[in-house]
Amino acid sequence: MSDDVDPRSAALGTEGLSKHFGGIVAVDEVDLAVPAGELRAIIGPNGAGKTTLFNVVTHALAPTSGSVYLGGEDITDVPQERRPHLGLARSFQSNELFAELSVLENVRVIAQTAAAGTFSFSLLGDGRSVRAEAARDILARVGLSEHAATEATNLSHGDQRRLGIAMAVATEPSVLLLDEPTSGMGPGESRETVELVQSLQDDLGLTVLMIEHDMEIVLSVSDRITVLNRGSVLATGTPDEIQGDDDVQDAYLGGVREEL
Amino acid sequence: MSRDSTAGVLERVGAIDLGVWQVPLGLLAVAVLLRPVVSHDLMLGYPQVASSFLIWMIIVASFNLLMGYTGLISFGHAMFMGIGTYSVAIALSSLAVPFLLAAPLGILFSAGVAYLIGRLIAHKGEIYFAMLTLAFAKSAHFVANYNPGGLTGGTTGLADGTTPAWIETSRGFTYVVLGGFRIDWYWAVAAVFVVGLLLLWQLVRSPFGRTLVAVRENEALARSMGVNVRRYKVWAFTFAAAFAALGGVLLEINNQGATLSELSIVTSGNIIIMAVLGGANYFFGPLAGVFVWMFVEEYLTDFHTLVLPLTEVPLLRIELTGVLAYWQFFLGLLFVVAVLVSPREGVLGLAKATVARLSARIRGESE
Repeated sequence: MSDDVDPRSAALGTEGLSKHFGGIVAVDEVDLAVPAGELRAIIGPNGAGKTTLFNVVTHALAPTSGSVYLGGEDITDVPQERRPHLGLARSFQSNELFAELSVLENVRVIAQTAAAGTFSFSLLGDGRSVRAEAARDILARVGLSEHAATEATNLSHGDQRRLGIAMAVATEPSVLLLDEPTSGMGPGESRETVELVQSLQDDLGLTVLMIEHDMEIVLSVSDRITVLNRGSVLATGTPDEIQGDDDVQDAYLGGVREEL
Repeated sequence: MSRDSTAGVLERVGAIDLGVWQVPLGLLAVAVLLRPVVSHDLMLGYPQVASSFLIWMIIVASFNLLMGYTGLISFGHAMFMGIGTYSVAIALSSLAVPFLLAAPLGILFSAGVAYLIGRLIAHKGEIYFAMLTLAFAKSAHFVANYNPGGLTGGTTGLADGTTPAWIETSRGFTYVVLGGFRIDWYWAVAAVFVVGLLLLWQLVRSPFGRTLVAVRENEALARSMGVNVRRYKVWAFTFAAAFAALGGVLLEINNQGATLSELSIVTSGNIIIMAVLGGANYFFGPLAGVFVWMFVEEYLTDFHTLVLPLTEVPLLRIELTGVLAYWQFFLGLLFVVAVLVSPREGVLGLAKATVARLSARIRGESE
């Protein structure tokens, strides 16, 4: 099983994408083709290379070999800071914030960047008023309006996770990479966060790739699932296909099928 | 973390909120009040040093654009001030270029040097960046000391012919004489101080300045969200150098020439210490740091005998000259305490927190 779409015509595609750290192969010849509007879950055991894949796709790390395509364009050599301006955004596994800035300012400064480009000599006016309304709208979407003036570092863990999503949305993406958006959350909060992701996807017409460990969530919300193991794609398919795949059962899912 | 919470406390206790006028009015107040305050009998008792206070406030505030707002630690900031000072001194003494042309050229030259150095080193990690600024500053000091072509005057610096014709000095006071008018040098400096720091303030509140703050807070996140971190750092470095050179060209007239100390590593170190001492978290922090540092320097080196309980009733006389000559040691101690207590708050943060706590207590009791 694999993607049946050409990576060069998908919303996000990779061809033979690899990342080596010395002798260790963290991402191994990964081919992906995620069509526009899909919610794709990326699953795999710890150390499978899921986060490294995101890092290579966003060019936080340069790939050792292979290509990355965004909306049909080869972006393999596009620098990291250009990619959000082309529509590729991500959130992080850890809570990455502008810790001492207010929640609103965290989102606003990114909305400002989305409008101004990677660099801009905007030396006039009050920075805090630029794109402030757009930032407030995003906070309202993710349910953080009441915390707009709170210092980001003082938010609860769950709210910090949501702020991470809000910041990624502020870049006005077409493709959104979410690295474990529900990590550290209880079942109820996880469910709310996934519903938030789905509503953002519907409202904004996003293509979403989501690294997720909670199999119940993965199987219920994904359009398709890509299973990584030891850096390479073990299988890609619909939730039903993945559940029925013997390789996946052996490598990863274990006894989950019986539980479900 | 404490920035917003301090503001929050101040709001709760009903401190006056002047909104957008807070900084402009504050700068005016500093410029107008500094001289009468330091020349009061209970303070220094003489006004001549007040212009130096303002000039160093410009220089240390320019450094805080790097440390406080962008999160860049430069160990060579004095170099960019010194380039301004030396540019003007050389232009006046060797090239017969008038001051009003030499000063903007000196500022541009300093900014240009900073831009080139920034392009080379701005992307280096924190400690490597700091070491490289140190190395460049050392090189600048070496060049000035080497006295190429007799331009920089070597160890003695430049003094002859470095004062423009429209500057007059008498009895320790400096005056600007233009046509029939004679203005005290202090007020000329005060005007440049207010305009210069207003420009710096606009820089930090602008969209550009807010992006610098995001870079300071989380460089990797800013980059992944679409910010060209390296270019912002290069331009922060360049602007900081321009403002330092603005202070440097004023220093040339103020000190009547250029000396090697303006390019020394010790001066760069003092700039860092003054910024941290005052409170890197605040726009006015460096100003407070300069005030404390220079006041203590002047006061303690001038203070010889402690008479108790009163000068009029001298029951006890203590000779303090020997002890107080160690003023830098005492300031160093204060610096260590400030860093240990809260590295970004400084004396200004401490003062704000104390005022907030006191007025909160007063309100609490009155209710």
